[in-house]
Amino acid sequence: MIDLALFVAFPYVAVILAIVVGLYRYYTDRFSYSSLSSQFLENRTLFWGSVPFHYGILVILLAHLLALLFPGLWSSLIGAQARLYVLEVTGLALALMAIVGMALLFIRRLNNQRVLMVTSTIDWIFLVVLLAQILLGFWVALFFRWGSDWYLHTAVPWLISLATLSPQAQYVSVLPFIVKLHMLGGFLIIALFPFTRLVHFVTFPITYFWRPYQVVIWNRRVRAGVEVKK
Amino acid sequence: MFRRGFEDMWTRHRGLIVLALFCLLAAATGSQLWGAPIARSADEGQTLFEQRCVACHTIGGGKLVGPDLKGVTARRDRAWLVRFISAPDQVLAQKDPIATQLLQEYGNVPMPNLGLTNEQVTAIITYLGGTAGGAAAPAGQAAAQPMGAGDPVIGKDLFIGSIRFQNGGPPCMACHSIAGIGALGGGALGPDLTGAFGKFGDTGINSVLATLPFPTMNPIFGKALLTADEQASLKAFFQAASVAERPAEAVGQLSILAVVGAAILILIAHLFFSRRLAQVRRPMVSSRRLSAISHQPPAVSSQRPTRR
Repeated sequence: MIDLALFVAFPYVAVILAIVVGLYRYYTDRFSYSSLSSQFLENRTLFWGSVPFHYGILVILLAHLLALLFPGLWSSLIGAQARLYVLEVTGLALALMAIVGMALLFIRRLNNQRVLMVTSTIDWIFLVVLLAQILLGFWVALFFRWGSDWYLHTAVPWLISLATLSPQAQYVSVLPFIVKLHMLGGFLIIALFPFTRLVHFVTFPITYFWRPYQVVIWNRRVRAGVEVKK
Repeated sequence: MFRRGFEDMWTRHRGLIVLALFCLLAAATGSQLWGAPIARSADEGQTLFEQRCVACHTIGGGKLVGPDLKGVTARRDRAWLVRFISAPDQVLAQKDPIATQLLQEYGNVPMPNLGLTNEQVTAIITYLGGTAGGAAAPAGQAAAQPMGAGDPVIGKDLFIGSIRFQNGGPPCMACHSIAGIGALGGGALGPDLTGAFGKFGDTGINSVLATLPFPTMNPIFGKALLTADEQASLKAFFQAASVAERPAEAVGQLSILAVVGAAILILIAHLFFSRRLAQVRRPMVSSRRLSAISHQPPAVSSQRPTRR
């Protein structure tokens, strides 16, 4: 019963919460859809924290997503022992990079008076949850190797069963406690996401890929090469 | 000011959000309960026994990895049977005298927790106490199958995944380590299998490979059991591995590699991005500051600004 609540009900609640509250916030309080950047207040520590954190976490997130969406491709990718080792070591290094970056950001937020002023309670809660989740992920990868392989046969079938509305918790409910904690942590982050400044995640300026590379804005209107006099 | 917008939303619509959450929780749990398969069939016990128990037990066919279960419902108290079949690991942890004695008697191979539901345990006990308890019931079918001589080299390839299992199961290495494979060994989610051959013995290995009766493996291999040839090859590999040289423990090596890798990545990030603010904004800000203080024209832009 507890497994049903944790590995079936909770993920659905988390995802629906993310979508419903996310949309609600977008339509009622659009100005808050931002990371509320504090770069203007302090940017030297920010650089050392933000760059390693974001590049580390994004690549790792992408790997989780890729293995989920294309398990066959992923399975061939790690099919040879050498490739599995390289991939796992790269993942661990990226996770460590994200942890270092996040620790710096944490320290900066605590120590810099100006940044501290613009930090709310939910920011702190979320920061702790996120740091715990990344530490757990690193722990799982190090002590329950090879996660990039067994993920395909435990978490992936579970997530697919959730997505196809025929939930099967037994794929993950028998795993070690720490591994389960990491999986639930993921859904906790999804659930908290719309209430925090992590919403900036969905404001990634993806249109930059196809917008005109140069935007010319005139001070005075020009028509067919002739300046229009006011 | 930054936190105002969202906390406003929470204050204004708290009731709505809580209600929505409650409905979601109720709906999700309800739909799951409705769809959950519950063991009701009278043959459930026999089916379960053949799927989950025959790897290690017979009824009237003699000892395997575990005891012959003929007449077990007469030998043991029903409440004890329910407790032990439901969670043998917990009963053992409580230092139950019968369980401890059985563990010693059967070569210190503990019975795994199979993650059975209460209904399933009841069904199995009903089956054990019914016709099967008296009549000569099927001996361990899986264990009784003859197994040809396997090739340890093929076994190793199957273990590390360079040959895929025919029925689509994942390679052993995803979760298990063993002597004689790669520098960093195999996985650590499941137990190291180097000593597995010695632990389970010849018959035991046959049974385990045929049914893979462990709670973590069951959902994964339930529909993807190993073929007879694959079982034979893996058995041969396990036998060879039990005397092979152990790979070094991987956690230490992995940690060192991760630290080195992270350091290199951070260095690359620094080299790549460190100048991105130095070129435009900082010179402008500092030159404005300088001119504001000294009332002199802005500094020459080609000059590299000093860092704060």
